[in-house]
Amino acid sequence: MSTTTIDRLRDTELSYRATLAGGALSVFLFIALLGLAFPSSIWGNFLAILTSRSTLSSALRLSVPITFAALGGIFSEKAGVVNIGLEGLLIISAFTAVITTAVVGPEMTVLGLPAIWIGFFAGILSSVLFSALFAVVCIRFKADQIIAGLAVWLIALGLAPFAATVYYGGVNTDNLGTTLGTWTIPVLSDIPFFGAFFDADPAVYMMLVAVPASWYVLNRTAFGRHVRASGENPKALDTVGVDVSRVRYAGVLLSGFLAGVGGSALSLGLGQFVGNNQTMVNGKGFIAIVAYLFGNYNPVGAFGASFLFAGLEAAQIRLQQVPGYAIPDSLIQTIPYVTVLVVLALVGRTRIPEAAGEHYDTGDDNR
Amino acid sequence: MSATENAKAVLRRLTAASATERILISFAALIMAVLVGAVIILVSGRITTCQTAATTLFGTGFCYDPVEVYLVLFNGALGEPFLVNSPGILKPLNPDWNPLNFGFALTLKETTLLIFTGLSVAVSFRAGLFNIGTQGQLVLGGLATALFSFFVAPLLPSGLVGGLILIPLAVVVGALVGGLYGAIPGALKAYADANEVITTIMLNFIAAQIAFVLVSEFFGNPDSQVVETTPLPDWATLLPVAFPQGGDFSILALAFGLALVVAVWFLLEQTSFGYDLRTSGEQPEAAEYGGVDAKRTTVTSMFLSGALGGMGGAIWVLMVMGKWQAGVPALGFDGITVSILAGNNPFGVVPAALLFGTLKSGSLAVQFGTGVPKQLVGVLRGLIILFVAMPEFFRMLGSTIDLEPDRETVATDGGSLGGDDE
Repeated sequence: MSTTTIDRLRDTELSYRATLAGGALSVFLFIALLGLAFPSSIWGNFLAILTSRSTLSSALRLSVPITFAALGGIFSEKAGVVNIGLEGLLIISAFTAVITTAVVGPEMTVLGLPAIWIGFFAGILSSVLFSALFAVVCIRFKADQIIAGLAVWLIALGLAPFAATVYYGGVNTDNLGTTLGTWTIPVLSDIPFFGAFFDADPAVYMMLVAVPASWYVLNRTAFGRHVRASGENPKALDTVGVDVSRVRYAGVLLSGFLAGVGGSALSLGLGQFVGNNQTMVNGKGFIAIVAYLFGNYNPVGAFGASFLFAGLEAAQIRLQQVPGYAIPDSLIQTIPYVTVLVVLALVGRTRIPEAAGEHYDTGDDNR
Repeated sequence: MSATENAKAVLRRLTAASATERILISFAALIMAVLVGAVIILVSGRITTCQTAATTLFGTGFCYDPVEVYLVLFNGALGEPFLVNSPGILKPLNPDWNPLNFGFALTLKETTLLIFTGLSVAVSFRAGLFNIGTQGQLVLGGLATALFSFFVAPLLPSGLVGGLILIPLAVVVGALVGGLYGAIPGALKAYADANEVITTIMLNFIAAQIAFVLVSEFFGNPDSQVVETTPLPDWATLLPVAFPQGGDFSILALAFGLALVVAVWFLLEQTSFGYDLRTSGEQPEAAEYGGVDAKRTTVTSMFLSGALGGMGGAIWVLMVMGKWQAGVPALGFDGITVSILAGNNPFGVVPAALLFGTLKSGSLAVQFGTGVPKQLVGVLRGLIILFVAMPEFFRMLGSTIDLEPDRETVATDGGSLGGDDE
């Protein structure tokens, strides 16, 4: 492919994203205009929902698992391992976090650490262990990454309800009666609307730190350079003496760590794990994949996309509480999924890392 | 040699070289999954509480005994041919055992449904497309069948004649709707390059919600508290022939499924369309050189895959439920395991479906008999996929027994290494 073709492709990609972002903005402006003109109509309600502080704070909360999973997906895929199993990592960490807290005793503290935080770290640990299994299967045993990722998802989807049934007699865990709670920053939290940023779940603060930190690690450190090279041109990386397999292991483990934070935050934010059907994770891991594709593997962009999807979800939940519409809840619930489809159809032509999905053979079989 | 012949040669070599190995790997994967499953059973036996330990190993008591669990599982799935509760290693035969029993009917019911979903997944995987959306295609196909039968039944004479007209038509309607729903991700893949793994999973969520809305708002049974359609008259459904009533198994549906297996095999292996489909899965470049219209093949393959999933939904409605009901079982996901276990081979789907049907039906007996939750099958489903996905693992294990080294990826068949699907 000649350079000009690539440039043209890049341009179309950019314009796709610009169109989408512009589209989202104009939809918002359209609603705002109509809402201001007819405050008592359905548009007025929409505007009220979109500009309410509680929608913002629930959008932030809902974007936590998606953003963390997306950040994890970026590291893994940039390193050359496509991690379709993010959904499974979210499920297993969400479950482990709750059950560990329950076993320790929700009101206990161990070594000065409240049980819920022990649960939080246990959730992360379980996700890291699962991703380690995935990494070994993909890197050491050269499994097809898509199928191994599906297996991770399906194992978690089976294991969490199974273990919940063993322990509780049902697929849902009991409510812990406690959650991660909120951290409120005085003064700043009194700001109207944007105060939601300073009166939030601890995981929201973690997310707001993790996004720029991931960007920095990926783009400004030696490790980030190795990760990117491992996905784009593993041979070059190998040539300069860096062990490709090790970089890939690190990328996948990091994705397990990040997804684990998201999963633990998801269930501990509610104080319960819900295990029926697709569990409480309900596709968030797959939405995360679309979020980072939409964000073009840029952590900040991925956060923007996650926030957009979470915002839709938050607005959708609020919309259900507004009386007087004939739109059934279940139909409104499809909005985020349909949006994901549309986004994926429009930005489908993302340029994935050159060597992602392929096994890299060092020629030395003992790695 | 022309490009087409070249591709044909590659294909022949690929299938011939790995056929035995595939079967070996499927068996090995199964055994590994069962072993890991046994460990999980043991561990969960430590988590739960019980009066007396079911088994004692290394001086520690466990609430669940894995050997007993698997025994009860297979015994339950076959309708208790053995008296497992009697002492000793060799269990005596049950004198009251009858092959046409309830437990076996349950197994065959699951097998029949899994043949459809397994075929659905196999067709798409052979085309190099990861259709995870069989579940959604089954949900909507089943709903279409239920609604079609409900509205058309009053226009037809009731009884055998009506059934002979209605049931085939209803299955066709289910297949069409499932096929069209499957064609959506196909078109998105072909024309917008959208990864079909993600789109089909999203469409699963959307299908479940749409079906729920349609039934709860418009077509629900007014006399029921549950979200379901009005039950169909008996003559419009597939009734059990020789097997007991409660087993919800009709041998006609199984016969239809087996006929489809042959039809899909014929389509894939003996027709030019099947050849195009397989080459675009196994050797996309060769397919392009050979003049295959890749975009059209993608959409058609996904339509076909969706149609098979839709038929699965139709059979679920006509044979099992007699209506459509919210909370459709995860037959589509089980289909992934069946197809992967079968090496995506239509004929392999039959034993794989029977095996997985046995697991599913036996899991009920396990829950009842030993207290181990029936969700165990969900765990085994994932484990089987995991182990089939890593043939390299078994090659390393088997290198001592001198298995022939072969570097082909077995599980996908497509030979497309994951990422280039994105």
